[in-house]
Amino acid sequence: MFTAISNVLMIVLSGIRAHKMFWVVIAGFGIFPIFTQIADLPFWNDLAMRIMLLSIAAMGLNLVLGYGGMVSFGHAAFIGIGAYCVGISQYYGLMNGWIHLLFSLLACASIGLVIGILALRTSGIYFIMITLGFAQMLFFLFVSLEGFGGDDGMSIDRAEFGFIDLYEPLRLYFLIWVLLVLVGLLMMVIVRSRFGVTLQAIKSNEARIEAMGLVPLHYKLVSYLLSAMICGVAGTLFASWQEYVSPDIMHWTRSGELMIIIILGGLGTLVGPVIGAIAFLLLEEFLPLLLEMILPDYAENWMILFGPLLVLIVLFGRGGLVGLAQRAMASVRGGRQ
Amino acid sequence: MTVLQLDRISKSFGALAASSDISLTVLSGEIHALIGPNGAGKTTLIQQIYGALTPDTGTISLNGEDITSLSVPARVRKGIGRSFQISNVLMQFSVLENAIIAEQARQGNSFNMFWPAFEDASVRAGAEAILDRLGLLPRAYQQTSALAHGERRMLELALALAVSPSLLLLDEPMAGAGIDESQHITQIIDQLRGKMGILLIEHDMDAVFKLADRISVLVEGRIIAVGTPDEISQNHEVKTAYLGEDS
Repeated sequence: MFTAISNVLMIVLSGIRAHKMFWVVIAGFGIFPIFTQIADLPFWNDLAMRIMLLSIAAMGLNLVLGYGGMVSFGHAAFIGIGAYCVGISQYYGLMNGWIHLLFSLLACASIGLVIGILALRTSGIYFIMITLGFAQMLFFLFVSLEGFGGDDGMSIDRAEFGFIDLYEPLRLYFLIWVLLVLVGLLMMVIVRSRFGVTLQAIKSNEARIEAMGLVPLHYKLVSYLLSAMICGVAGTLFASWQEYVSPDIMHWTRSGELMIIIILGGLGTLVGPVIGAIAFLLLEEFLPLLLEMILPDYAENWMILFGPLLVLIVLFGRGGLVGLAQRAMASVRGGRQ
Repeated sequence: MTVLQLDRISKSFGALAASSDISLTVLSGEIHALIGPNGAGKTTLIQQIYGALTPDTGTISLNGEDITSLSVPARVRKGIGRSFQISNVLMQFSVLENAIIAEQARQGNSFNMFWPAFEDASVRAGAEAILDRLGLLPRAYQQTSALAHGERRMLELALALAVSPSLLLLDEPMAGAGIDESQHITQIIDQLRGKMGILLIEHDMDAVFKLADRISVLVEGRIIAVGTPDEISQNHEVKTAYLGEDS
């Protein structure tokens, strides 16, 4: 028993030591509300919650996209399933948030299993298209479910998490933050584990992994399931945060958004999806305001700047913002010597 | 002891008969070379033994067990090691990490989602042993993409040996290697003699005649001769079909 606990501690500590940057950012989210409370800026808490929710979903997708090399263009579907687990449960009078979470884990695992088994027979462009296809099917399924609001979606209450009253804004904030920490720990342990390393090796060279006697499909499928479930968790909390679910949450543009966030931050790094989510949402929020000040006539066309900016970072910042930062730090260090 | 037995294997792609009625045995401890002109069907045959292609008819047995319908990973676990024509190593990883991934696969616990892969002493010891066998230990911390061509071939061979195979398939191990490197690789393969059955495809005839205990000659999907290097070099049919009159 004692050795088991000390092993867990050792694994977690050595992981944290290897990913300091990641945990600094996560801790930053933990102390952020102190500043917003002092400065009385509740809007910023709201933005931070959105960033954390997208970070969780992007971390989930990153397991498949960044570490496994599988370009899934349909992960918004799992966010949607997570969110609708809240909506549909509440429709039938189930308000307990833990039960919503359990349902969304089960739903995402089973739907992910079906999609995964079918989609992972393909690769490359076919895999992109088939995952998009399944996500569109689910999108239109929810559009057609008139009982659950159809196109218009349904208003919901924030879920009940026992003693944690989510209408107290900071409690929802810290519930999201704790889940961000847990998902972060899970991702950190997995990508360093034998499984995680094998998954990255499959991305590097599938034929060699087969020649070692392993079946790549098993590893891909399990990682796909895990990432679907993590996106489901993000969706569950998203629903409580929005107090509203509609098929919009699983629109294909959100799948694209998640991919952009990961690539923007840094593909296949632990901190990348979080940095990407911060950058993406800050740009989305403040680029229009900035334009309003400089060129008020064109402010509503802020996306004309947003798009090329993303393209530039992806093109020239190999490894995304994390890659840029690493190269900058390396050159500063090199300059000193 | 027979390690590998091919019993009347045939495989065609449309009208092209890539393998016609091929029977062949590899004994344990022998180096069996498979030679033939380009397009003779050598790689097609090795792919069928490895499991990447399934023969249309015929059976393949490994250590007396029918493996004809098994997948590649299943055959590997039964004891087939393979080096590829084009170096097939994990480029994004260091040399030691390559060996660690192979060693944990051999130990059969690659699915562990908790234990850190690169911090396990027992796996690391096994991985170092894999590298040490081929003199790669000094290169352990080098990035694989930074290795010289010959060293990459060595790593490829090390990974093939990491599964402790009873049958080793070597698909042109000398391809692209310089003269010195070729000699080094020849020496390494020579040292493996007696430890496992080896099926060697190679165009470098010096190496083939130096290494092989037996040679099978494949021409247009058929085995036209099997014998010791001396017998093959004297065989009239082989001379006209492949080696050329003057050899």
